[in-house]
Amino acid sequence: MSSDVILVIVVGTALAFDFTNGFHDTANVVATSISTGAARPSVAIGMASLLNFVGAFISISVAATVANDVVNADVITPTIVFAGLIGAIAWNLITWYFGLPSSSSHALIGGVVGSAVAAAGFDAVIADGLVGKVLVPAIVAPILAFLVAGLSIGIAYRIIGKQRPGIVNRGFKHGQIISGGLLALAHGTNDAQKTMGIITLALIANGSLGANSDPPLWVIASSAAAIALGTYSGGWRIIKTTGTRIIKMDAAQGFSSQGAGAAVILASTHFGFPLSTTHVINGGVMGAGAAKRFSAVRWGVAGNIVFAWLLTLPAAAAIGAATYGISRIFGTGALGPLLITLMALSLVAAVFVRRAQRVAPVSAAGG
Amino acid sequence: MIATLVEGKELMETVVASVIAGVGVTSVFAIAIWGVGRFVDLSRDERQLAAGGAAAVAALALAAVIAAVVFGIIVMTRK
Repeated sequence: MSSDVILVIVVGTALAFDFTNGFHDTANVVATSISTGAARPSVAIGMASLLNFVGAFISISVAATVANDVVNADVITPTIVFAGLIGAIAWNLITWYFGLPSSSSHALIGGVVGSAVAAAGFDAVIADGLVGKVLVPAIVAPILAFLVAGLSIGIAYRIIGKQRPGIVNRGFKHGQIISGGLLALAHGTNDAQKTMGIITLALIANGSLGANSDPPLWVIASSAAAIALGTYSGGWRIIKTTGTRIIKMDAAQGFSSQGAGAAVILASTHFGFPLSTTHVINGGVMGAGAAKRFSAVRWGVAGNIVFAWLLTLPAAAAIGAATYGISRIFGTGALGPLLITLMALSLVAAVFVRRAQRVAPVSAAGG
Repeated sequence: MIATLVEGKELMETVVASVIAGVGVTSVFAIAIWGVGRFVDLSRDERQLAAGGAAAVAALALAAVIAAVVFGIIVMTRK
């Protein structure tokens, strides 16, 4: 009974994490299409939301990696998964509060690894899986997207030559409907699967599923719905900030950056690598920008991304480990996770209120 | 040791697939746009045969892009 209560809390927390993942990443998925004028914000966001949902159904390789290849399912309990999720959500909130661009995916894996180590020692971690399927692809993928986008835009500019700019712009804007759609599909399939993998891990740990099981349909459908709803909700905020926060690029650069991002994410997903889609998409945008004019890229932003990435895994792991330790103070039952959930909800509410109070005077002055 | 830790073969296949798909699709789509541009220019100059050739290039390139996207999605759903 007690473990079922924890399982319900874990599933709810994981879906909340998935929602915030979609909310966070809407900007990455639709920014390029909106920036180049290829799609109206409402159309871009609606399409991204729908394709995120569809994308979640096309593969389960990443879910299998998260559920079976990162931590040893034999020593994992629902409480460990819960503590890992709290580590990831807490780190996401901290980085969101301070405006640091971080990876939700790496926070999730870091949180679960940290809580697993706190509970069962380093034997709980599958080093081969963590290094080979998470850490190395995490480094390779954004660099690959940067190079692919840079190379493809260079070749595209040569092919187009001195064609009329009007035709070229219109052509690539139409093309961005395909490349933007593919990027949203890729985002949905890689990111939603991490939540599927975490819920599946909790179900295996609870004994509700056998070892090495695939995610059940209800897990896939609920993860797909959560990320799609998050994408749709997050998108409306972007409409207001599109003009100021997005790098200005032409339609050809938009097409090549989206194409590179989609190609890298889809290829990685096929082999079960859980990537940071944020890093890959940013790598593609920077590659397309740098190929045209090196100074067009905000290298300071790139530095912040690297800094936040280096911090993410250990910080989320530390919070996950601490959460597990606090939970154990209240025993092995559901009391610890319940109290921590209540504390976390109170903290989130306080952070949002504080943030709103900071923003309000600025808005008033501006209005 | 590193070779066993890192999924070398799968990572290499990811790199190759990404480069072929990313660079290939953008390049072929650029050929389609070049074809459309040449078709408009040549039609204006009343060079119908050459314009027809440019239109065929554009149509073939566009078909190749759509085929590549569909192929990619089918491959994804098969694992």
